[in-house]
Formats: sequence, C-alpha cells, structure tokens
Amino acid sequence: MTQNGNRADQPQSMASNRQKMEDPEIGQPSPERTRAANEVGSAIAHQLNGPLTALRLYVGEIRQNIGRFRESAEGQDSMQQMVEGAFQETERICAMMRLIADTFEGPLYPENAAALGRDVITWWSRSAAANGRDTEQTVSFHAPLTPREREALGHISQGCSNKQGAIRMQIGPRTFESHRARIMRKFGAKNGADLVRIALGETSVTP
Amino acid sequence: MTALHLHDTPEMLHPARTATRILVIEDDASVSAAIRAILARHQCDTVLASRAHAGIHAFQAFGFDVVMVDLFMPGMNGLDTIARIRSESAVPIIAMSGFRLRNSLDAGEDFLGMAILRGATISLRKPFSPPQLIAAIDRSRMAPSTRVSRQ
Repeated sequence: MTQNGNRADQPQSMASNRQKMEDPEIGQPSPERTRAANEVGSAIAHQLNGPLTALRLYVGEIRQNIGRFRESAEGQDSMQQMVEGAFQETERICAMMRLIADTFEGPLYPENAAALGRDVITWWSRSAAANGRDTEQTVSFHAPLTPREREALGHISQGCSNKQGAIRMQIGPRTFESHRARIMRKFGAKNGADLVRIALGETSVTP
Repeated sequence: MTALHLHDTPEMLHPARTATRILVIEDDASVSAAIRAILARHQCDTVLASRAHAGIHAFQAFGFDVVMVDLFMPGMNGLDTIARIRSESAVPIIAMSGFRLRNSLDAGEDFLGMAILRGATISLRKPFSPPQLIAAIDRSRMAPSTRVSRQ
C-alpha cells in the first residue's frame, strides 16, 4: 500500500527501531496492529450483530405495541414470545461478552493493566474516528477536533500534500483527504490557503 | 439443524391470498426467528432457510414475493446467492449485512454496494428496527421491477 517505500519522509528516529506493534511515545498503530485490529473487530462485530438485530426487533415491536398487546389472547401470546425472545438474545450477548473477556490475554504486568487497557480503548476509538466511522453528518463551525484530525492538521500546516500526510499517518490518502475536509468544515475554511492560515494559528495555540 | 423449516409454516401450503410471502436466507437462527416473529404480525408468511442452497431450492420450488439474503453465510455467500436468484427471477431482493467492510482505497465500495451491483433491490444494514424491516419490504416491492440479469 501507500506507506511502503516512502518512509524517507519521516525522521529516521521515528521510522526505525520501532517496535512491531506500536511505538508507545507516538501512539501510532503499525500496519500489523491495524490489520489485526480490523480482523478481530470484524469478527466480534459479526458475532454480536446477530443477537443485536434480533434484540432490536423484539424490543422495538414490544415498545411500539405495548398498549395493544392486552387486547386479545393472541396479542398476549405474541407479547410473551417477544419478551422471551428478547431475554434469550440478551443472555446470548452476555455469554459472548464473557467469551470475549476470557479470550484475550491481558498485559503481562498487572500494575499496568488498567493504564494499558485505557490506552488500547483510546487508540481504538481514535482509529475508529480516523476510519470515518463517526456518523456525524453536520458539524458546526469550531467544533473540537478529534485527536486524529488534530494530527492531520499538524501535517497540513507543515505543507504536506494529501499523499504525504497519509503516509505520515499511515492511513489511505482518501482518509487523509476526509480529515482535511472535516477540518475545513469545522473551521469554515474556504480553501486550502485559508485552512493553512487557520491551521498555523490553531497549532500554535494548542500544540 | 435442517435448512428449511417447512414444518413451522403450515400456512405456506395454503397461503392466505393477501399474505406477502417472504423467504429469509440467513444462517443466524435467532435473526431469522425474530424476523419471522415481527413479520407474522404484519400479514407476512415467512419461510426460513439457513443456507444458500436450501434457500435457492425453496425459491425455485415455491416462489416468493420478496427474498431477504444475509451476505455472510457459510457455504455459498450472500453475494453469489443474490446473483444466482437474479439470474432467473426479477423478485425483489433485500441484502442484509451487519457491516459494510469499507475499502480504504475506495470509500465508495462496500459489501452492501456490491450486493446492489449483483442485483439486490435494496440493502438493509443490521441491526435494523421493526419499522426499518417493514419499510424495506414495502420499498423493495414498490421498486421498479428488476430485470433478470443475463449470465
């Protein structure tokens, strides 16, 4: 992909001597870690989606018809079936969560466990935002930037192109482009030059 | 588990004229059971198939008003199932999937989009609510009739 062969862009101290999984200083996921996370995330999402779909259907139907269920014996049977279904699916999700909790190995040193866990959660939510999974449709001006957008802004203010910025952040050029677009929307920047002007002001205030 | 729960749907043999007949091809039994429970309250007869081949056979044998297909099934996947049904029928097809699996190189391409290219009438993202389910079925039936694709 794009990050190969172009590492000369980065200072040597950053690019080399990096641990396989992550450089804790920079918090930058490696391609290996990103791939592993994508695979695990997809598998868990797939597993949970079945019971969540069923649960949403049962609870939605109960909520919509709660007043009418009592009108007939059939209605009551149907209600009982929906409640039983919702209960079963809830139990199934809980069993999956127990399995997930038991499957993944924790950090080696218990005293670091909470901090490391927090780090993983932060990294995950950041990378989820970087992948454009936040469904925010309308962004008001001057909405706070996400950590990844702030990072992208730093690269933009240094004059990076979409391609250069994408390589530095180890993301696709389109993802970088969408960061740029979101930042422009948030700041109400009219064009690239306007954005850089704002970016320089922004990064100097909050490094 | 048997692929086709015909014993659960005696109405299928003598369907009421007004009932919409829906085939659900979905490997997760709890999802298809919930879909059936909701649809039963909306004048729909539902037949469940937990594998693509069983679903295709049921479709060929009985015919349906709407077919719902999950994209990630063991054995033949949903995309191939949709292409196969579309090659022989213009029936409305609803593609269901939990996640889009976006491609970072091409943000416009995802599995639900691919399902539409293969001939699905509309796509329905899981988890969906009862109104979304009913609306999807209504919309798929109102869509301009899909042409049978030539293979």
